[in-house]
Amino acid sequence: MKSKQSDTAYWDQRRGRISSTTGGWVIGEGVFCHGYNMLDELLGEVSYFQLMFLSTLGHLPERRLADWVEATFMCLSWPDPRIWCNQVGALAGEARTTPASAVTAGVLASDSEMYGSRTFLEGMRFIQQACSQYRQGHSIEQIIEDELRKYRGKLNIMGYARPIAKGDERVVAIQRVTDKLEFDRGEHLTLAYAISDYLLERFGESMNIGGYASAFMSDQGYSPDDVYLLSTLCVSSGVMACYVEYRNRPVEDFLPLRCDDIDYQGVPLRELPEHWDRD
Amino acid sequence: MIKSEPEPTSKQPERKRQQVTSRQEPFVDKTATKLWYEKPSTDNPYISEQHYCHGYELKQLMAQCSYADVLYLLFRGELPDKGERRVFESLMIALMNPGPRHPATRAAMNLGVGKTDPLHILPASLQITSGKYKGAAEIAEISRFLRKSRRKTPKEVVDLYRNDLQQPEDSGVDSWSVIPGFGRSFGQAEIFPQSIVDEILAYGEELESVSWGNELAVELANYQVGWTMPGVAAAVLSDLGFQPKVAAGVFQMLCAPGLLAHGLEFANKPRTAMPYVTDDHYEIKTK
Repeated sequence: MKSKQSDTAYWDQRRGRISSTTGGWVIGEGVFCHGYNMLDELLGEVSYFQLMFLSTLGHLPERRLADWVEATFMCLSWPDPRIWCNQVGALAGEARTTPASAVTAGVLASDSEMYGSRTFLEGMRFIQQACSQYRQGHSIEQIIEDELRKYRGKLNIMGYARPIAKGDERVVAIQRVTDKLEFDRGEHLTLAYAISDYLLERFGESMNIGGYASAFMSDQGYSPDDVYLLSTLCVSSGVMACYVEYRNRPVEDFLPLRCDDIDYQGVPLRELPEHWDRD
Repeated sequence: MIKSEPEPTSKQPERKRQQVTSRQEPFVDKTATKLWYEKPSTDNPYISEQHYCHGYELKQLMAQCSYADVLYLLFRGELPDKGERRVFESLMIALMNPGPRHPATRAAMNLGVGKTDPLHILPASLQITSGKYKGAAEIAEISRFLRKSRRKTPKEVVDLYRNDLQQPEDSGVDSWSVIPGFGRSFGQAEIFPQSIVDEILAYGEELESVSWGNELAVELANYQVGWTMPGVAAAVLSDLGFQPKVAAGVFQMLCAPGLLAHGLEFANKPRTAMPYVTDDHYEIKTK
């Protein structure tokens, strides 16, 4: 039996039409972004990072906050090809890709649960939940015990400890920027430092740059998703640096591998069965 | 923040401004494709009932064709004959995995061990296959070179490139692409691409670019120059009728399985499962 004709009015109204709440180009009038005329009101007046906030979150922050986020980008992107996203950039240089391929591949690499932009989702969840619990009277020890139980006693709190090294020189550096830009220390950052002191005493681990930025941005009223979005391109300059270095060198120059540098651990080498016929 | 128009100064004379207007270019009303048809449901035009690839109903293709057949159909517009199928399917296998030492595969492994979202392993590592070195960037150029150069004898081509063919004294000088599709790796002709060519030619199919290229490879052996894998892919795909730009993209696509497999192999391993250059092996030179 033929069913009743479906009601497709909702999609019919959108067929061939765009209704943007962000903005766009009106030929002859201007380019608009969240209510601002970009060329008349923003160009030459705000920084690129202020525009990034506007495009991403829909509001124009004060200049010093955009400058602070720009400073964190400097902390999160180093020209060292041993770091995973940068190694992708170096391999792109070796492979002679275009710069866009190299940088976007490196940016995709940094969408990782171990480093880069994605870690802010968990880092901010932790400090915001911890702050809420602390306000309700939980001690730092209780908060940490709750986190330890999730990983059978293993310390695995995003924003504390880091791969490769213990301690994080970037925390001192970004605190200097925070002070220079005259930001007050809010309750999240105050708690983050206290947790860092506790973990250092008990585990010999301390807050890393991600933990600091998570707490600071929480104090500024931002959500985990806001910061995840804002930090999408945070590794791009380091990836580019590694790409350019190896693009400008001979190929087969970046950590060349001999065949026996790959350790085969699969099943022993073998023949196809005698009756095998691919056709 | 809205400001009035700046007044022209005496140093900067006012210039006539062209009013910005639309060009009113004649854009089509609908996107057209020759390769795929989705037959709409009679009940809801946003829902499809049947899909057709170059005219063939997809479920018929599922029942009667191999994946390689339909892939060939998608890009070439016709199903392959028996010989074309054998050659194309063999190339698919040959290119399936660029190997764990290829830059794109190494990138895939880094993405895996670096705990990047596993859904990014394939797209990010595929981007590394877009390069000129062992990648797709020169496939189109190689295809055109082979088609054009077939009018000459291999000896004539060697004469044209004689200066480029000399082994560089400094091993740090790139010579991985001396002639489009032919070069050196780590200072000598690669062995594996030649073996792929030998295998495919043994099928006895008529492959003009591959056969001509192989004659050229014989001439180049004295210079320690041989087939590169992009060269082999370009020659085979050219002989199968793939246009140069199409061949480049198909090459990337055919490399995809190995990249994904190697990347995923490391996705659940700790970051220590791959070497990390220690500080005492990392030198920072100052200018």
